[in-house]
Amino acid sequence: MNYKAQFTGAVMAVAAAMTSTAVLAEPGAWSDEPVRIVVTFPPGGTSDLVARLLAQQLDTGFGQKAVVDNRPGAAGTVAADYVAQQPADGTTLILSNNAPFTISPTRFKSLPYDPIEDFTHVAYIGASAPGLFVQPSSGITTLEAYVAQVKETPMTYGSSGVGSISHILGEAVDAALSVESIHVPYQGSAPAIQDFRAGALDSFYDMVVQNSDMIEDGEAVALAIASPERNPQLPDVPTFREQGYDIVIENWVGLSAPAGLDPALREKIHETVLAVFAKPEVQEKLTDLGITHVAMSSEDYEALVSELIGVWAPLIEAAGIKE
Amino acid sequence: MNQHSNDPEDNGQAELAIESPAGALGWGGEIGGVLLLVLSIIFMVGGWQLGLGVPTRLGTGAFPFATGAVLAVLALAIVIAERKGDGLAETPDWIGLLAISASLAVFAIVVDRLGLVPGVFATVVVASLPDRNLSLRGKALLGIIVALGCWGVFIELLNLPIKPFLEF
Amino acid sequence: MDILANFSQGLLVVLQPENLMYCFIGVFLGTFIGVLPGIGSMAAIAMILPITFYLDPTPALVMIAGVFYGAEYGGSTASILLNVPGTPAASITAIEGHQLAKKGRAGVALFSTATASFGGGIIGMVVIALLSPFLAKLALSFAPADYFAVILLGLIAASAVSNGGALKGIAMVITGLMLGTIGIDLTTGVTRFTMGVPELRDGIHIVIVAMGLFGVGEVIASIRATRSGTATQTVDYSDFYPSKKEWKSLFAPILRGGAIGSFIGALPGTGQTIAAALAYAVEKRVSPQRKDFGTGVVPGVAVPEAANNSATQTAFIPTLTLGVPGSPPMAIVIGALMIYGITPGPRLLTEQPDMFWGLVASFLVGNIMLLILNVPLIGIWVRLLNIPYKYMYPTIIVLICMGVYSLNNNVFDIWLTLVIGVVGYVMRLFRFEPAPLLLGFVLGPLMEEHLRRTMLLSRGDPMVFVTRPISATLLAITALIIVFALYSTARTHRRALAARLGSSRKEQPNEL
Repeated sequence: MNYKAQFTGAVMAVAAAMTSTAVLAEPGAWSDEPVRIVVTFPPGGTSDLVARLLAQQLDTGFGQKAVVDNRPGAAGTVAADYVAQQPADGTTLILSNNAPFTISPTRFKSLPYDPIEDFTHVAYIGASAPGLFVQPSSGITTLEAYVAQVKETPMTYGSSGVGSISHILGEAVDAALSVESIHVPYQGSAPAIQDFRAGALDSFYDMVVQNSDMIEDGEAVALAIASPERNPQLPDVPTFREQGYDIVIENWVGLSAPAGLDPALREKIHETVLAVFAKPEVQEKLTDLGITHVAMSSEDYEALVSELIGVWAPLIEAAGIKE
Repeated sequence: MNQHSNDPEDNGQAELAIESPAGALGWGGEIGGVLLLVLSIIFMVGGWQLGLGVPTRLGTGAFPFATGAVLAVLALAIVIAERKGDGLAETPDWIGLLAISASLAVFAIVVDRLGLVPGVFATVVVASLPDRNLSLRGKALLGIIVALGCWGVFIELLNLPIKPFLEF
Repeated sequence: MDILANFSQGLLVVLQPENLMYCFIGVFLGTFIGVLPGIGSMAAIAMILPITFYLDPTPALVMIAGVFYGAEYGGSTASILLNVPGTPAASITAIEGHQLAKKGRAGVALFSTATASFGGGIIGMVVIALLSPFLAKLALSFAPADYFAVILLGLIAASAVSNGGALKGIAMVITGLMLGTIGIDLTTGVTRFTMGVPELRDGIHIVIVAMGLFGVGEVIASIRATRSGTATQTVDYSDFYPSKKEWKSLFAPILRGGAIGSFIGALPGTGQTIAAALAYAVEKRVSPQRKDFGTGVVPGVAVPEAANNSATQTAFIPTLTLGVPGSPPMAIVIGALMIYGITPGPRLLTEQPDMFWGLVASFLVGNIMLLILNVPLIGIWVRLLNIPYKYMYPTIIVLICMGVYSLNNNVFDIWLTLVIGVVGYVMRLFRFEPAPLLLGFVLGPLMEEHLRRTMLLSRGDPMVFVTRPISATLLAITALIIVFALYSTARTHRRALAARLGSSRKEQPNEL
């Protein structure tokens, strides 16, 4: 019998037990100094609004002062780079979507930070799924009909920019359907939708829930959504998956901190943030913004980020946006 | 015609709106055209390297190249036109240029390392260095006043995320 | 038409104490923040955004709107007094405004802009009230080809903004166009001319260009006098108010500026800068005082103000009825609305009539508040000019630094401002004007984007510019303007030649 191994094993078991009890932290303020939530977009964008919502809730609900610091630019890398260099004491957090962590590392030749090594991923907030929209006048109502049409004449599709989720989805769909569409990039989805409404664009990709008004008004036909399952708010929109194309691409939003954050602190921030988003009125606001909240542990979030880098890499290369 | 003017009445403010301003140097106007020409060539070369594409599908470098080319032509025209022109608007104020450039540099260097208040103070002092009508003490006083004012307005009132003092 | 009924309803909404108060706060905040160079409406709106969470949508929207046009107004104060535009659109106001201030007539300039802003704002409001659905539909029918034509027209106007000679003016516009290509090419995602510097990925920020070219360049140019102690910046208190003739001369420019601004503002993405530039260029052609433009003329300072204030108001049309933000502050408005669960779109007029008409009526109330707030302040601002420049100029430098630094909290921006400031001073030495460059810089990327997008959408068919009615008309107008300009230049040259070859060696004195 290897007593040394048994002993080591026992110590490790006890250590594990101790750390797991420490995981049960109480939600509440974690810093006397105001916390800065860095956002990768300018004021007014969805992530900015989520950040401001969070900041307001932290203040009123838990007495934790928080301010939003917008550092837009270069697909979130400016903000991420800045946060990576801050002290890991819980006073600086970044609220990001997947761009700086799962897209930019593959897309750009060299980044000043490593998405896993330089960050502690704290809390996953939620995700929204994009989908394919076509003109009602085209008469296309199913993906099959779309495929048939596009194989004959390529269609133009609008995205919210080169390297954006909608662009990557567009390229993924093209690849899966073995068709070639004409990509027309815009600065954000709003101008794309405007051109679509003006009849200049044949189709576009964008977050589905946020365009539910257009679907209801019959101004756009949603052919498919790239989420694993149908979205409960739009039950009539089929997923790509169920139509035979395994395309699952979601834009997620989450909170991260610089590397080296104390595990206890990480848990506390995690619990507090989840407590904020557990509130029904906050969830309602999130849903209004098109984000579906899912509660997840910090470890799972960290694992998800690593996993997604691998998932997105081939898509990014296929989209031809690798620098 | 040389209109070199050391006239003390001339307050040195370049009047852009009127042709043939008082104080014009009478020479050197062509240099401006040359500078523009150099700039335009840089963009033409860069644009070329980025790829011009075809007229129906313009490449990334098409615009820089095209604008560079047009500018090059205009720059040449300016060089020719300035031969008979009034030249530089005034003798360059090297000291003023240096002082203001230095003050901006000082702001950039100090604010990041020591915080807003020392940064603003240093900027004010450096910017006002060449001013012979203000004593060093006066400059320091001005620096303190402006620095404190900035603290009040920008940090307290406007909540800009800048720290007044940073530990070195 | 029950527009009057809607408007009265809106008036009732806005006259409620809560809405009135927030309107005032917005206008007040906007004015003061707009005066600070570089810190424009964006910073102000971002600042009050947290407060809006506690409010209902109508007072929140009214407050944000107040900040928006208040900041635009405040920006013109700095540009008149110091030639440091508080907002990019104010750089046009600076052309005539600062000349007026240099002549000791700052009071006149400030009164003119106050009146012009008010007039422009009212016109904008009337346009929204009467034409919202029409303008929304118009914006919807604008395809990239049409946008390209509008912006091309704007560029031609930008060349006309120059007061120092057409050759240099056009060269400056082209230079601005060229410099605008620095950054990521939106159509392909490739970086251009960034020399590996990550901060340049998004191009040079327009505030940095404006602050560097106008602000820093101006300070460097003005220091010499201060150092030798010969600088005089006087205020002629006997010439404080505009003369009766000048008051009268405001009327037509305000109408023209307001009309141009309303239309341009309603087109998403075109913005107040273009409106101001276009209005100024048109005024230069049409005004009875056109020969004096560039020396400080009242119509010249009034027209861009009227244009940009009315553009500021009509910018809400595409924002609210289409959900397309014309500028970053409008994106904030949309974001704020979304938090309330209000989706901007064609439904907004029918679903939220109280909010919409309350907003429209608040433009009237807000503009009145601005007038009441700012007219007494004119005396104070003008007194500011009496502070010796030796105290002012370091302060201006600091304000410029603060404005630039507040963009990204990155000192790289300061270094960039330094470089551009030196360029601005060098430009002054060679008598190249900054305003056309700034306009080219703003319009260039837009024009390129729309040109390439048109080509993509038409699958390479350039005839689309001529087949679409809107772009065909605009391009035709642009062509006519160019032809006319060439013709009149040729005519003046022919006349000058004839005069020289002709008899008189006597020169007629220029009677002013």
